[in-house]
Amino acid sequence: MFARKTGWPVLWVVIAALLLSACTQTPTGTGSSPTQSAQASPASKVLRMARNAEPFSPFVPWQIDDNPALFISVNVYDTLLRTTKDGTGVEPGLATKWTPSADGLTWVFTLRDGLKFSDGSAMTASDVKASLDMARGGEKSAWKDNYVAIKDITATDAKTVTITLKQPYAPLLSVLAMFSGGILPADMAKATDAKDYDNTLAWKTKGTGAYYSEGWKKGDPIILKRNPNYWKGTPAVDQVRIEYIPDDNTRVLKLQGGETDVADFVPFSQIAALNTQPSVKAQTFSIQQTAFVILNNSKPPLNDVKVRQALNYATDKAAIIKNVYFGQATPMNSPIPQGTYYDKSLPGYPYDLDKAKALMAQSSGAAGFKVDMQVRSGNTNFANTAVILKDAWAKIGVTVDIQTLDTAVVRTNYRAGDYMTTPAAWTNDMNDPTEIVNYAMRGGASPFAYWTRYNNPDLNDKITKADLEQDATKRQAAYSEIQKIYLDAAPLVFIAYLGASAGWRSNIDGFYIDGLSYYRFEDVKISK
Amino acid sequence: MGRAAYIRRRFVLMAFVLFGVSIVIFGMVRILPGDPAFLILGDRATDQKAAELREQLGLNRPILEQYWRFVSGFAHGDMGQSLLYRQPVGDLVLTRVPVTLALSAYAMGLAAIITLTFGILAAVNKGGWPDQLIRLGFLFALTTPNFWFGILLILLLGLTLHWFPVAGFGDTLAQHVWYLFLPALTLALQLSAVLIRNLRGQIILTMRSDYVRTAHAKGLSSSLVLLRHVLRNALLSTVTIFGLQFGFLVGGAIVIETVFALPGTGQLLIQSITARDYPVVQAITVISAILVIVVNLVVDLSYSFLDPRVTYE
Repeated sequence: MFARKTGWPVLWVVIAALLLSACTQTPTGTGSSPTQSAQASPASKVLRMARNAEPFSPFVPWQIDDNPALFISVNVYDTLLRTTKDGTGVEPGLATKWTPSADGLTWVFTLRDGLKFSDGSAMTASDVKASLDMARGGEKSAWKDNYVAIKDITATDAKTVTITLKQPYAPLLSVLAMFSGGILPADMAKATDAKDYDNTLAWKTKGTGAYYSEGWKKGDPIILKRNPNYWKGTPAVDQVRIEYIPDDNTRVLKLQGGETDVADFVPFSQIAALNTQPSVKAQTFSIQQTAFVILNNSKPPLNDVKVRQALNYATDKAAIIKNVYFGQATPMNSPIPQGTYYDKSLPGYPYDLDKAKALMAQSSGAAGFKVDMQVRSGNTNFANTAVILKDAWAKIGVTVDIQTLDTAVVRTNYRAGDYMTTPAAWTNDMNDPTEIVNYAMRGGASPFAYWTRYNNPDLNDKITKADLEQDATKRQAAYSEIQKIYLDAAPLVFIAYLGASAGWRSNIDGFYIDGLSYYRFEDVKISK
Repeated sequence: MGRAAYIRRRFVLMAFVLFGVSIVIFGMVRILPGDPAFLILGDRATDQKAAELREQLGLNRPILEQYWRFVSGFAHGDMGQSLLYRQPVGDLVLTRVPVTLALSAYAMGLAAIITLTFGILAAVNKGGWPDQLIRLGFLFALTTPNFWFGILLILLLGLTLHWFPVAGFGDTLAQHVWYLFLPALTLALQLSAVLIRNLRGQIILTMRSDYVRTAHAKGLSSSLVLLRHVLRNALLSTVTIFGLQFGFLVGGAIVIETVFALPGTGQLLIQSITARDYPVVQAITVISAILVIVVNLVVDLSYSFLDPRVTYE
């Protein structure tokens, strides 16, 4: 009984202390709501973006090997040419005009008039030469392989760049439209190759793109300021502030709460629900991305084409698209993404259990077999795909042993050939199919046809020839044949074409993700 | 032995503990499969390029030499270069330690307030409805995964009521305090759940002791008895748990920092483990170990203030 009497006075003291501390702890909490506190004043328009990842590569176009960095790079460093919005062609960038010689070995590019870097200094042909020379020959360039056809680059005069080739190379224009060919001032470009080049210098950018950065430190938001000298005219948004919000749910919550204007990688499962809210919009943009399962073609019975085809037929793409991608995907009918020279007439492998069973019966795996499926931990799409496949493949006598492993381990294993199957995804970095075809289909040497160990010397030859072919119609035909051969050989289990999702506040106009999954802030407008 | 000598001895012990931690973490990150060179260069890298990078990063040196570089560098305040970000680990980690530390301290502060409030309230109402309600409520907090609990708090206090921001860290000190409230509360509620049960039990136990009855008999007011005699004695074991839980708090902060998008060490640690960024993982682990040791030392020292009979030997 006395306990009750003693308790209350003390309690009041504690509660008072609690309230007091709550008041002092939230000085800004009383006066302003989260939306108001973000630094957007009516005078300067700030676009706030929440992104799922932070850049890690050195911020030099040809040294970039991660998406978060390259997404920013396309806003900062312009290239000679640009990929069109749908991602299937090229259009003028810094160069307005280009003419090949009759033999296809010499290309003359004419630069736009009055080009300036963000600091106001003039951009000339010698800057183009210096930058592209670093991209193709720089010690630290991650993209050298794309430029091997180039023999020499000369600055013929201030406005003319001449590129000579070792051999005709059809994908040249697409290669020049890649982010890795971004143009820096010549002295800055050359400095990037020094052994002790400091990445903090790289973030003090000087490009011809719509925005520039004055510096960035990991952990801080990335601030992009608009380039007053931008050749397409000053962008509507003064400043872009990119915040790193790794958790999918948190990004969406910040968008709903009005704490950010744009969020990327909105979970597919939440797109429909977000669109029921008037203040928010969400969408999937079609990009050149595919989801599939890598098969180790060197390990029996996966070395048997009939087994691989059977697995393809036994894969219920509709179920995966519905349950994993919430309808935001389409089944793959060709082995390459829906970019240039993609053949839409190919049949793919429609779900057909009878056909799958018949193929299995004729194959070396007729008695049934067991495969491991190595799934990268943390990737829910891959994990859910694996669960559906386990069920689907069991119907043709294939037992799937799902192993969830750290991404680093899965990558080490498939490089070493130490796996049977593993789900994966691919996004084109350029609109031309040469990249995926050389990476995923050419066998015999690293990367061993996307680590499948599939090797068809006849197909390898056709891939080489397609790169040399100058005539667009003949190239189209060549790539159609390549797609068909690879599809029939089924080194992978082909699943779906994916999209890139994003959400934004309804007062944001003009945000889009292009065919190569880049987004440019230059077209974005903020209304009241 | 006096307090000063005791502290000196603890620091010597700390050196041994850190030596052990350094060996364990150094060995563990290297036992993990996965080659940092390929993780940095991406799938397109050739074997030759990966070998060059390994050479450049010093990953192909003898393992003992690598360990010596790590330990001697650390002793001189040089934590090496991040493999992934190619910048000094010190720059990466040291700006983040204060965030995690502030979050942990904030959480501990809130936990202390919550524990005292509800622990006392439950104890003085033993068996009554406030007691039952408190025990049930905190059982819920204890058994709920903290990332989910964090999202619940965001939904309620951030999105619906707009009292606090959903996530982020803010730019000014005042904003930091405001932005950190929800993540700190998430951690604090779980921590208090453990502490309240303990404190409640201790208070009830202490109130039955003879000296409390004597104090009442002397005519002291109830609140004075509770504050001066009961609480001070009951707190001893709660404070011990409180200190031990600091390690748990640093661990919980890793998840919570990701949910609330706080630029602390936890988030960096997760990225660095995934990327096999050995120097960063090593630095964060060793720094966390130092923090846990120091906090426990502070807790041990606080006993003598709570209980003058405690001496350090």
